[in-house]
Amino acid sequence: MSIFRMSRREKALARIAPVTEKPGTDRRTRVAVLRAKRSKAMSTEFAQQQAFDKAVVAVVQTIPVSTEVAEWFRNEKLIPKTKRRWRKVARNPAVLSVALATAVIMGVITLTVTERLNDFPGSSMAQKMLTVASSTRGTELERLETSAGGLGDLFFMKYRLEHYDVPQEFADIKTAGVRVFDDDEGRRVAQISVPEKRMQFFIFPAERNPKDGKPKEFSGWKYLEHEGWAGVAKFRAGVVFMAAMRGEEKDLAPYVAQAQ
Amino acid sequence: MRPPKISVEPSQNLPQLYRFCYLMTGDAGKAQEAFQATVREAALTAARGEPPQDRLWFFRDARWRCLQLSEEGIQAEASTPEECEVSPNAAKQIAQLDAEHLAIWISAAPDPQRSALAAYYLDEFTPREMMTLLEVRSGELSNLICSGRRQFQSWLDATTPHYDDE
Repeated sequence: MSIFRMSRREKALARIAPVTEKPGTDRRTRVAVLRAKRSKAMSTEFAQQQAFDKAVVAVVQTIPVSTEVAEWFRNEKLIPKTKRRWRKVARNPAVLSVALATAVIMGVITLTVTERLNDFPGSSMAQKMLTVASSTRGTELERLETSAGGLGDLFFMKYRLEHYDVPQEFADIKTAGVRVFDDDEGRRVAQISVPEKRMQFFIFPAERNPKDGKPKEFSGWKYLEHEGWAGVAKFRAGVVFMAAMRGEEKDLAPYVAQAQ
Repeated sequence: MRPPKISVEPSQNLPQLYRFCYLMTGDAGKAQEAFQATVREAALTAARGEPPQDRLWFFRDARWRCLQLSEEGIQAEASTPEECEVSPNAAKQIAQLDAEHLAIWISAAPDPQRSALAAYYLDEFTPREMMTLLEVRSGELSNLICSGRRQFQSWLDATTPHYDDE
């Protein structure tokens, strides 16, 4: 079926289409006119109709006006000007498209700026650790029930990992398992599982400045969220400690706030 | 006697309002009376602090005044006019007419067809505005205009026939 095939309603609209194009003509009428012009069955009839109507309009415009009547035309200001209503403007497809595109661009910019604001040195690695946390099963870790604060010695003695300490905010929490593994760039990562709220701790080397090889520092606790997991990280002595749990920033905030 | 022609801006509403009255009544005197009464009424309502909401108010008011005035005097016989298809030569036939003949023909039509034809051939309104002004649906408006065209073509064929140049 041709896309220019006209419905009965469209034919009716084409028959009352304004003789000359008007800015306020609704979309249905404009479509009906377009289809009438392109329709094989209707185009000739429509062209004759337009010629007929234009000729009548031309005669109407020659209606004689007396001087007495013409003097009354000075009262034109009595007729209020038609204002385009904002609803009509807002429903215009072009305006809608621009508004939607602007909203999407603003959303992307806001998201990027927010991400940048939350960024800290090593945040990309912290995000990777959140992905690791979400995919880790309990059996992958070596069972070890102790206080998290005491694991610093274990990491140093057994794995020669210096300063891999759990900060005091999380030091009293009981652990369930532990492991040390190398990430895809060969950095040593300590992972600790905790029964409380099924949290996981990660300790990994801080990101280093490629120019001088020194670790990039940041102060205080930094939050991040990724794939439904939330993390809170702190830099100390060249390593980053991160506590992670499924949830949001507000779920981790009490641990950090308690210590402060 | 026909009044002298005065050039007026076609985009202005009041000249169009007068043309509407002329098409509705087919008589310059009655058209002037309805036109002036409408403008006077608008000025009075504006003075009372309730000016007309939009330009359609003027045409609506003038429409009823014209219909009332048309009821005075000689009335056209009620009959079913013949209809025929719009001719390819219609434009040439219409060009031979003057405004007075056209107005007389339109004013003889029964309402709401008369109002529909008068409003449509002002080339002033969108279909939606016409429906609001005449208080009819699109299908009804289409029928009124369409049958008006065919009746007018039939009248043209009878009064100003066109012969192809051989």
